[in-house]
Amino acid sequence: MFAGILTLWGQYFGNFLGGLGISLEITVAGLAFALVAGAGFAALRLARFRVLRLIGTAYVEVVRATPMLLVLYIMYFGLGQVGIKLPAYWAAVIALGTFYAAQFTEIFRGGIQSVDRGQREAADALGLSRWQRLRKVVLPQAVMTILLPSTNALADIIKDSSLVITIGLSDLMARTYEATSATFEPMDMFLLAGVMYLVVYLLLSRVLGRLELNVQRRHG
Amino acid sequence: MFSDVMVNSTPSDIAVDIRSVTKKFGERTIFGDVSLQVRQGEVVALIGPSGAGKSTLIRCVNCLTPFESGSIMVLGHELHGTNEAKRGPSREMLKSIRTETGMVFQSFNLFPHMSVVDNVALAPVLVLGTSREEAREQARELLCSIGLSHRVDAYPRHLSGGEQQRVAICRALAMKPSLMLFDEPTSALDPELVGEVLGAIRALVDRGMTMMLVTHEMMFARDVADTVAVMADGALVEIGPARQVLDDPQTDRCKSFLSRVLQQKAPSANTSAPSMGAQIAADAPTQEHEQARDTDRKRKHAEEVER
Ligand SMILES: Nc1ncnc2c1ncn2[C@@H]1O[C@H](COP(=O)(O)OP(=O)(O)OP(=O)(O)O)[C@@H](O)[C@H]1O
Ligand SMILES: [Mg+2]
Repeated sequence: MFAGILTLWGQYFGNFLGGLGISLEITVAGLAFALVAGAGFAALRLARFRVLRLIGTAYVEVVRATPMLLVLYIMYFGLGQVGIKLPAYWAAVIALGTFYAAQFTEIFRGGIQSVDRGQREAADALGLSRWQRLRKVVLPQAVMTILLPSTNALADIIKDSSLVITIGLSDLMARTYEATSATFEPMDMFLLAGVMYLVVYLLLSRVLGRLELNVQRRHG
Repeated sequence: MFSDVMVNSTPSDIAVDIRSVTKKFGERTIFGDVSLQVRQGEVVALIGPSGAGKSTLIRCVNCLTPFESGSIMVLGHELHGTNEAKRGPSREMLKSIRTETGMVFQSFNLFPHMSVVDNVALAPVLVLGTSREEAREQARELLCSIGLSHRVDAYPRHLSGGEQQRVAICRALAMKPSLMLFDEPTSALDPELVGEVLGAIRALVDRGMTMMLVTHEMMFARDVADTVAVMADGALVEIGPARQVLDDPQTDRCKSFLSRVLQQKAPSANTSAPSMGAQIAADAPTQEHEQARDTDRKRKHAEEVER
């Protein structure tokens, strides 16, 4: 029986790997989107003007109240209905990006606010501009507080990328599903997918963990 | 010490002119109608009970805190209360004031992710446009003159409190300010480290630096300050020559504050005594001081030869 699983896994491994490639592609593109938008919304949430702060807060609150699957459906089926037909791939990237932008907004804001007030005052008293203060004094100290939750968010994006099966993308989850109906061996197929997700997660957490250690060593 | 510190002079004889300033946090008035002048080269010590608003007042001077009404002239720049001026100080004015004013905080606030020399060199590079090499060279000289030549490449977390505060003083001096603001520079220090910091401040006083100094070190204030201003109950209750105010206070509020401080100090005379002792030790020529003085002498000599 064990040999049976291995043969089956061997048969589908290449196919699954292709699916995993698509999952990771969507993940990386979605992450990039989320990081940029998250930085933007974090800037809004920390802005001097009330209106801007309100916009930032509203965005975070609304997105947080919305399930990821709903965001995905809005980007694909919803926008499709009102005439904005996005290819499934881009709908997936934009949905992941929009959804996780809210998480990164909070991660960035938290990191920046975790830096002691005295640090900002010292920078101000020396005559640094707001931008210089952010770049040279605040951000380098916020990195540590930002890194850990960012790693968690990235792990979540990979997992949530499996939702794209619902809009017809051929990611790892979709290929697993197809394989189960072809082989009538759902457990074996789901296990293989699980192992592949696990390997990706382990690699990721090792690499980012190493990065964290480096930053920690430098900043103490 | 501090041979490099240039005491610039602005046209006016008055460095800081605080006129009827009122400061509120929300609905709460911290102080009202406060006026105080600091002449060029003058050392004004600001004393008073905790929570009186001493920190807040000197933070108004370099715009770390806005104030509601009144005005402050700092080194020729006019600041107005938020009630009177429609908009705050322009970006350029803010930059000028902060460049020409150095501030030293109770909690040091060194940048923990930078080495000592980079802490000191950062602002000259970013704000004054000094080249990196030159700024670091000047930082080294400053650190050397304050007896920290061996700590140049260390990170702040590896320094003692006294060393950190001396680095913070260098960081402020690196901008070549003409006014220094000290907010309880020794309050966070272990008693035995107070002396080295007071020694550094005294050296600045000796070079003619204009200063506003919030402190609880009454003996030191009596020693180095020209003027002592006592803040209590939301007002400056007494302003006058240091010795007169401290030895022979006129107002009841000031008398009661001083007697309370002296009472607190009295039983712990043993702990305050070493701090004054340590200060003398800090002033005594250690090896570094000797070296620094030597280089000072050499530089001065070289300058004279150039002329
Ligand atoms: N950012 C702030 N928001 C609200 N209230 C503040 C703020 N900063 C200071 N205060 C209040 O203003 C008052 C004056 O504070 P300040 O720090 O200026 O006093 P201080 O004379 O320096 O006291 P200490 O000797 O304890 O340093 C205090 O009652 C304090 O609680
Ligand atoms: Mg204070």
